[in-house]
Amino acid sequence: MVKYTSFFKKTVFVCLFGITLISCKPKEKLLPNTLGEINLQQFVAIGDGNTAGYMDDALYLYGQQNSLGAILQTQLQLVGAGEIYLPLMGSANIGTNSSFLSKLILGWKTDCLGGIGLSPVRFAQQGEVASLTSSAYSPQNKFTNFGVPGLRMIDMVSTAFGNINLPQHNAFFARMSKDQFNLPGSGNYLSVQENIFDGGYPTFCSIYLGIEDVLPYARSGATQNPMSPLAGFPGVGFEESLTQLCGQLYSQNIKAVVGTIPDITKMPYFTTIPYNGLNLDAEKAASLNQIYGPLGFSFTVGSNSFMIEDPTAGAFGVRPMVEGELILLSVPLDSMKCHQYGSVYPLRDEFVLTIAELQEIRNQLLAYNQVIRQYSNFYGFAIAETADFYANLYDGFVYNGVTMSSKFVSGGAYSLDGIHLNPRGNALLANIFITAINKTYKSTIPLANALFYSSTYFP
Amino acid sequence: MKRIYLGALFLLHFVCDNHGFSQGFQVNFQGQRQQGMGLAGVAAPFDGSSLFFNPGSSVFLNQNSIVGGVTPVFGNVLFLDSATNASYRSNSPVGTPFSFYAMFQLKPAGKLKVGLSVNTPFGSTVQYEDNWIGRFALTRLELKAIFIQPTFAYRIADHIGIGGGFVISSGNVNLQKDIPVQDTNGVYGHAELAGKAIGFGYNIGIHFTPSKQLSIGLTYRSKVAMNLRDGEATFTAPSSLEDKFPATSFTGRLPLPSVTTLGFSYHPCSAFTVVLDINRVGWKVYDTLAFDYATNTSSLLDTKSPRMYKNILAFRLGMEVKPIKNLALRIGGGYGFSPVQSGYVTPETPDGIRIYGTFGVGYELSQKIRVDASVYYTKIKRSDTNLETNMSGTYTTIALATGLSISYKW
Repeated sequence: MVKYTSFFKKTVFVCLFGITLISCKPKEKLLPNTLGEINLQQFVAIGDGNTAGYMDDALYLYGQQNSLGAILQTQLQLVGAGEIYLPLMGSANIGTNSSFLSKLILGWKTDCLGGIGLSPVRFAQQGEVASLTSSAYSPQNKFTNFGVPGLRMIDMVSTAFGNINLPQHNAFFARMSKDQFNLPGSGNYLSVQENIFDGGYPTFCSIYLGIEDVLPYARSGATQNPMSPLAGFPGVGFEESLTQLCGQLYSQNIKAVVGTIPDITKMPYFTTIPYNGLNLDAEKAASLNQIYGPLGFSFTVGSNSFMIEDPTAGAFGVRPMVEGELILLSVPLDSMKCHQYGSVYPLRDEFVLTIAELQEIRNQLLAYNQVIRQYSNFYGFAIAETADFYANLYDGFVYNGVTMSSKFVSGGAYSLDGIHLNPRGNALLANIFITAINKTYKSTIPLANALFYSSTYFP
Repeated sequence: MKRIYLGALFLLHFVCDNHGFSQGFQVNFQGQRQQGMGLAGVAAPFDGSSLFFNPGSSVFLNQNSIVGGVTPVFGNVLFLDSATNASYRSNSPVGTPFSFYAMFQLKPAGKLKVGLSVNTPFGSTVQYEDNWIGRFALTRLELKAIFIQPTFAYRIADHIGIGGGFVISSGNVNLQKDIPVQDTNGVYGHAELAGKAIGFGYNIGIHFTPSKQLSIGLTYRSKVAMNLRDGEATFTAPSSLEDKFPATSFTGRLPLPSVTTLGFSYHPCSAFTVVLDINRVGWKVYDTLAFDYATNTSSLLDTKSPRMYKNILAFRLGMEVKPIKNLALRIGGGYGFSPVQSGYVTPETPDGIRIYGTFGVGYELSQKIRVDASVYYTKIKRSDTNLETNMSGTYTTIALATGLSISYKW
């Protein structure tokens, strides 16, 4: 019996030993993050407000830290990129736009009908203007993000862009330019490009330009701010400005990822108010029929097209909207709700993009994208097809269990201005750039976890 | 015998045809002897646990038996997200499947047996680390089902026993996930769905001993549709959205699959036994995980998540040796395909092909009391992109289960 017991003990011992040998937790075996053919000694993100982190219709510190440029660089840091230097605004949350208004937040708003609802409202009475008149430039820490809200492709070589004394000046750029405090009249203002190349060339760039060459025109309902022409010298024409930039980079052996331009007319700013959102009861329909009947327009109970001004439409220059036409978010909504704006009083041209105007804008975007692809291919740069990303967003997709769309406020990717992406949207966009880099330069840079970045905050 | 062999071949053919992949949230820890032998034992009656494994086999035991056992399961999941090359872990609590059996013979030589089986053949508790990338798909899932099975068995001939039991299943579900809406501090909403479910089924089996050395068992445990009524759904959300996420009751349904098992036991001498079980699990019943809320809003719609499980086979092989009279040593292993098809792998059951090994030991302390213990180990790896959530990566699951039971017979 003693013998048996010892055998039993031995068996138990062997069993317990076996248990301690096998691990109970799976080992973390991450794939190596590799640099591929790029050199990240000096990374610079070049672009407009998207690259800068302009969102909620203002530039503010939190947005800058969650900008396309910053998120892209955060991922590049996993394969050796240096520290992120941003022309940070003074305040985390107030921010300012070029009209000195603070950022938008989601707040409660009472409309003309007395209804209370969530709506974008200004965060503060006034924007953080002080940051626009003080320099963020530091000679020690070269900015790794040359995203400038409002920067067009054709502005890259402009020496007036940062000149506070000229009408072309851009306050967001002036505050980060090396020579912000040059005396009036001294004349030597550096262009954006010269600032980027100042103190040593970058080794790798992201370029996401071109939206601003079209956007102001679209935002004006195609009434002002003409789009940059394709042809013309650098500083005038889109193509020459692009090739001039690409050529400069190439000559310095700088590699780059270049973004194509999305169809901006798919942004919530243009798509939130439906063309046929004029809902009428019998009484209102009858009264509109009385007004417009003689012109040959009729209204029915239920949904109808809004009425717009259109000089080309018959003798009275008024017509109902047709499917595909867009109303801008700048339209006075209370007037539409309570003062028959868009029905008895037709919407003015500046609030509407007609089929012809949309065609003009989209054709221009196609032309821009064609040259972007052409020259990026020529110089061997990676091409980030942002157009596909924005189109997917418009259709809606699910990201790690979260539905993303271009629905205003609730879509999860756009900020409250309906044009610029929020941090999560920027992370998703950064992933398009990273995917392109990985493909062209044979690197394995991990994508950003977009769910780590915030979306719209609800009160 | 030849026919059975052909039958087994046919089953194998079925596997290859279906490119089947193991076992969803099935828990196979219902008897320590079987656990020691690769979870097999439909044709090898041992103690009260045969009420569950094969009621028909219980009449071949000349004993009354009371058995109680518990098997703590240490399960760990690691999810490696392929796009971000980052990994996240589960921190699930220790699972405690248990079993209790009481078996009595009403006629001499055990011709008629009655018994009660109480155990937990299905269940799962998985919880993921905070802020993991799949938080909007799942943060925690707790599934518990206790099967209570009163059983009768009768030996209709010297070599054939049949038995059956009625199953009452009582369960709990608690499912939690984060909601992708943030308040002004950036804090996400959270959803918790909790409820009790009840379901009914049966367990029948036949045991046949063509020779002294060979036993064959065939059992069928029916599916059990767990119906969840009056579940409670509670949400936290930013105050401006609270009316979109009202606390509400909900109903749901969770089908637990049928299990058909063909088992063999070969017993050439008293000191040596080999067992083989072939399982077919009718997972196809789990095609959708649906929740129907009593109150719907634009943000709270009834959900229907496709699961699209498919029927699977699992093979279990084990052996037992008795080097000395009171001692049994057991070893075994198994191979199970996964019911989860490509495109449908979820964090709740990150299942894949399951290969496992077991060993066990049993010791008879006296004529009446014995102790049995077992160890089970498996590592499952599954890469997938879920079609519903678009989560894409590799789940690696390691489960270690160490069980102990005490039985008393007379």
